[in-house]
Amino acid sequence: MVSTQSADYAGVPLPEVAVITNRLLSAETTEIILNRLDVIKGIRQIQMTGESIPKTINSGPGKGLPNNHTERRIINVNGREVELRYLVGAFYIELEVEDEAALDAKLEEIKGVLNECIEFGYTLNVGRYSKYKPTLHDYRSE
Amino acid sequence: MAYKRQFYPGTTSPAKNRRRYMDPKVKLKKLRDVPMDDVIRIMGHRNPGEDYKSIHPPIEEGKEPDCPIRKLVVPIEGAKAGDRIRYIQFTDSVYFAPISPYQRAWMYLSRYRGVDTGTLSGRQIIEVRERNLEVMAKEMIDNETFDPALTGIRGATVHGHACRLDENGLMFDGWQRYQWDAKKKEVVYVKDQVAIPLDRKISVGKPAAHADLKKRTTIFRADGVDMRDDKEVTMYGLRIHKLRTLGGYQPWAFKE
Repeated sequence: MVSTQSADYAGVPLPEVAVITNRLLSAETTEIILNRLDVIKGIRQIQMTGESIPKTINSGPGKGLPNNHTERRIINVNGREVELRYLVGAFYIELEVEDEAALDAKLEEIKGVLNECIEFGYTLNVGRYSKYKPTLHDYRSE
Repeated sequence: MAYKRQFYPGTTSPAKNRRRYMDPKVKLKKLRDVPMDDVIRIMGHRNPGEDYKSIHPPIEEGKEPDCPIRKLVVPIEGAKAGDRIRYIQFTDSVYFAPISPYQRAWMYLSRYRGVDTGTLSGRQIIEVRERNLEVMAKEMIDNETFDPALTGIRGATVHGHACRLDENGLMFDGWQRYQWDAKKKEVVYVKDQVAIPLDRKISVGKPAAHADLKKRTTIFRADGVDMRDDKEVTMYGLRIHKLRTLGGYQPWAFKE
């Protein structure tokens, strides 16, 4: 599961930076990273994924009770409220860049932020990991 | 000729640990002392101090059928009292937890009487009469097969054994039954094994160091001890595979 997309489809396969962290990140660390990435120009959207945290206890004798997970909360990203439903372990950062040189420059900026914020390391790859134009599913969902 | 009981082949540390955990003659090291009342609270089957729910009228007063097996087998305390069968379930992380579910089954069946155990990919349930279960559960939480960060006590929604650890080194739990106490540097349970909130936090102690866990684990891993580095274990696995493949349900009929 990936967080719902925040921007329209670009229509063209823009490069995407996949950051997979070695440890699952706390809400606090996620908030710090997003706030640092949010100010970088050229980032079109960031999608996150990780391990799902249910809102309520979803089975067993405690079914229906509030889960009260400390990491399932609303974080603040430069004034916008984002509800975290995952213990985040991956970021997919879509970049709007003109050429390879611009891409490399953006990558350095992103790596700089990640190196400072992620204590236990991460792997980073550039490619295209999600769809960039609507498919039948999008028409069906409307 | 009487065979001497063997447990597991191999010369590497996971193989030796498997033998140690399975051998009932080996007394496992006690690393912590979680009070019995707290163990009962975490399991959540009864309140501490409450009577055991046993059959009525008591077995001794009732008429039991004449059965040769009943005469032969000495019942465990819980069976003698007609207790309910209750359970505890452990989840073991793949990140060098001290033991893994399959070895738990071997260990339980080798060390305890009157238990029923079930193995799943990441968790291991043990079902036994309530008063015996409590004693066993305390033993298993206190001894070296348990690590506060990498072993979870989870009755349901056990997902997490193969997930990455969190920033505090704790195995992921969607229901967050246990939390990291940053002040004390300990793991504390805030919910029982089915995620009903506890009245107060229960500490299960400090997690072990990664280097220590690598020595204690029964898990073969490419970034720890590779199973292929242990020739005897590899040959044992291959032999079973060969007999099963070529001999089917009659491995004895297969001649090398």
